[in-house]
Amino acid sequence: MLTINHLTKTYGDKKAVDDLSLCINPGEIYGFIGHNGAGKTTTLKSIAGILGFDEGEILINGKSIKDKPIECKKEMAYIPDNPDLYEYMTGIKYLNFIADIYGVPSEGRNDKIRKLSDIFGLTDDLGEAIAAYSHGMKQKLAIVSAWLHDPKLIIMDEPFVGLDPKASHELKTMMREFCDKGGAIFFSTHVLEVAEKLCDKIAIIKNGQLIKSGTMEDVRGDDSLEEVFLELEAE
Amino acid sequence: MLKLLLKKQLTELFRSYFYDAKKNKKRSNVSIVLYFVLFFGTIIGIFGGIFTKLAITICPPLCSAGMDWLYFLIMLSISIALGAFGSIFNTFSSLYLAKDNDTLLSMPIPVKYIIASRLLNVYLLGALYSCLIIIPATAVYWIKSGVKIGVMQIISGIVMVIIVTLIVLVLSCLLGWCVAKISQKLKRKNITTVILSLAFMAAYYFAYYKANEVINNLIQNAAVFGNKIKGSAYGLYIFGNASTGDLKSILIVVGVTAAIILITWLVLRSTFLSIAISTDKTEKVRYVEKSVKSKSIFGALLSKELNKFKSSANYMLNCGLGIIMIPVAGVVMLFKGDMLTKALFSMEGSPEGFLTVLLCGGIIVLSSMNNMAVPSVSLEGKNLWILQSLPVDTKQILKAKTYMQLILSGIPTAFTVICFLFVFKESVAVKLIFVLLEAVSLIFSSFFDSFIGVMKPNLNWTSEIVAVKNSGAVLISVFGEMIAGGAFIFAYAFLGREIGLIPYLLIWTALFTVGAIVFRHLLYTKGANQLEQL
Repeated sequence: MLTINHLTKTYGDKKAVDDLSLCINPGEIYGFIGHNGAGKTTTLKSIAGILGFDEGEILINGKSIKDKPIECKKEMAYIPDNPDLYEYMTGIKYLNFIADIYGVPSEGRNDKIRKLSDIFGLTDDLGEAIAAYSHGMKQKLAIVSAWLHDPKLIIMDEPFVGLDPKASHELKTMMREFCDKGGAIFFSTHVLEVAEKLCDKIAIIKNGQLIKSGTMEDVRGDDSLEEVFLELEAE
Repeated sequence: MLKLLLKKQLTELFRSYFYDAKKNKKRSNVSIVLYFVLFFGTIIGIFGGIFTKLAITICPPLCSAGMDWLYFLIMLSISIALGAFGSIFNTFSSLYLAKDNDTLLSMPIPVKYIIASRLLNVYLLGALYSCLIIIPATAVYWIKSGVKIGVMQIISGIVMVIIVTLIVLVLSCLLGWCVAKISQKLKRKNITTVILSLAFMAAYYFAYYKANEVINNLIQNAAVFGNKIKGSAYGLYIFGNASTGDLKSILIVVGVTAAIILITWLVLRSTFLSIAISTDKTEKVRYVEKSVKSKSIFGALLSKELNKFKSSANYMLNCGLGIIMIPVAGVVMLFKGDMLTKALFSMEGSPEGFLTVLLCGGIIVLSSMNNMAVPSVSLEGKNLWILQSLPVDTKQILKAKTYMQLILSGIPTAFTVICFLFVFKESVAVKLIFVLLEAVSLIFSSFFDSFIGVMKPNLNWTSEIVAVKNSGAVLISVFGEMIAGGAFIFAYAFLGREIGLIPYLLIWTALFTVGAIVFRHLLYTKGANQLEQL
């Protein structure tokens, strides 16, 4: 579903991502952890087609994000670390805007919106301007918009930040169900307990370089993910 | 701490002059100087020139009649009116709506320092506008009045320039405060702000329209009016007299101004916090499901742009005034067209068809007031990730921004063109070319504005007004199109007789067409590439 080959991205003289390679298969929830400034967001933004990169390639379902960005983006959804949405729109206008862009048919669209919004208790608030939403509500709206067009791959940057415990639980359930149906998720998090329980595979990035990746068992062995992470960070 | 905040405010205001966002580095000293020269040169050249001419016209007759104070009173009043008018739309958003209010208020910074730093923004803009009048007016007085200029005149000149800028600041603050108080109680804030602002603007333009008549009347009856003002509004006499170097008047004016500033400061200090952190007290809108009609990708993008435009009073007022002004011109032509055409036909030495060129150019100049495509990319701000992550061709994004301007300008322009066609006494061929010329000039300006906007974006603003108003792109767009409209009119005065009306109009139609094609190409190549790199 997602193949990253030797991805390198520099900002001036600094290598934010250095020769990073990963492969995410359908059905996998892939966690991405690392210290602040390790290169997680840069990697995720490069995959989402927001940031250009200097070397390497990123393939979504075999298509290069550089050569066929629109076709790649059609198959995925991206949720940033900070849900800055169009505050001048109402929630429903925003969702319809996203649905129009992805070509979600008008028939059945309302049902789909209601079903997803109900999960997060957001339906009643869809008529409000996004400017009036709290951070958590914006995050919920961003999640609903990501699921709205049935993507095959979802890229999420710190998706649990700002969510209440119930919404966090719902999101975890949705992530599992999505991948069980053949989708793939690549997301970053600092909450190692969540990563440990939720992810099928994990990648640890340090100073732009991938230092460990694989199945949860391969990465942590008999230790906890936190112990492994802290050990690797100390090296 | 205050110094730090002032530095932050100045950096924000002039960031684009010092920092090249495209190259992500500081501009060279030469380009910084060039940017400042371009900005201030254009403003000072155009507005300063207009008011210097006015000062030269009225200074000698009033001063020779011993009415120096009346001359200053007129110029000071115009200066204050322009200064306050120029910054009225800026004040509310600069003071109360800055995006970093929450951040600053959460820090151990005294509120008075935050207000003072915000006021710097308001002060500088008001001072810029008011100085365009008061400085030339004072200089003209020193040169043309025939009065021997001593130390007192020089001191009073400098003091009054400072006083005027401070009065403008006070007026701007009070207007901004009124807008904020009204805004707290309104449900449909944007549209109400727009309507109130337009009403204010209409009153302003009416006063401006009448100003010539009033000033002429004042000059002709200076003695009568002078005595009346001295008798019934002695304060105004003192205000004007202070600029002539009268020590007593200067002291009174300085004292009164200081008192007014103190009161304004106290009002701002006591109310700033409650306004800045207030949340809208509007009723919750419960979502009611409605049937959906899906849109094409372009339709969705265009609809998004139109939604953005109508969501912001600042955006509408600063970038869409032409939507009102262009049809007003059409209506005026319909009802006062005969009178205007007769007046213009009687202009000696003007070539045949000059009226047509004048009217045609008038619409082009008025269209320069519509430049909503220019700040459109900048206004994406932190939302830019949405467009960048969607499966949308960058060209379509830019096309939607261009078409928004084309539609919002095109509808009023079409109305006015039809009005003008009723007034024209020209052949069918000329009328057809006129329609074609207006259409291509509109297309040209829409592509031009979009291109300038995407090539000179400012995505890191803390107040929306910075993206809408304080940018080199907006300046280039407004003055570029004004100059094009002016060149179109004045070139005919020189070339009209040799070339003839139809060929002249055709040449400009061809020029605008080529311009539109060139900027369309640039927008979809360089512009699209730039948007992808942002």
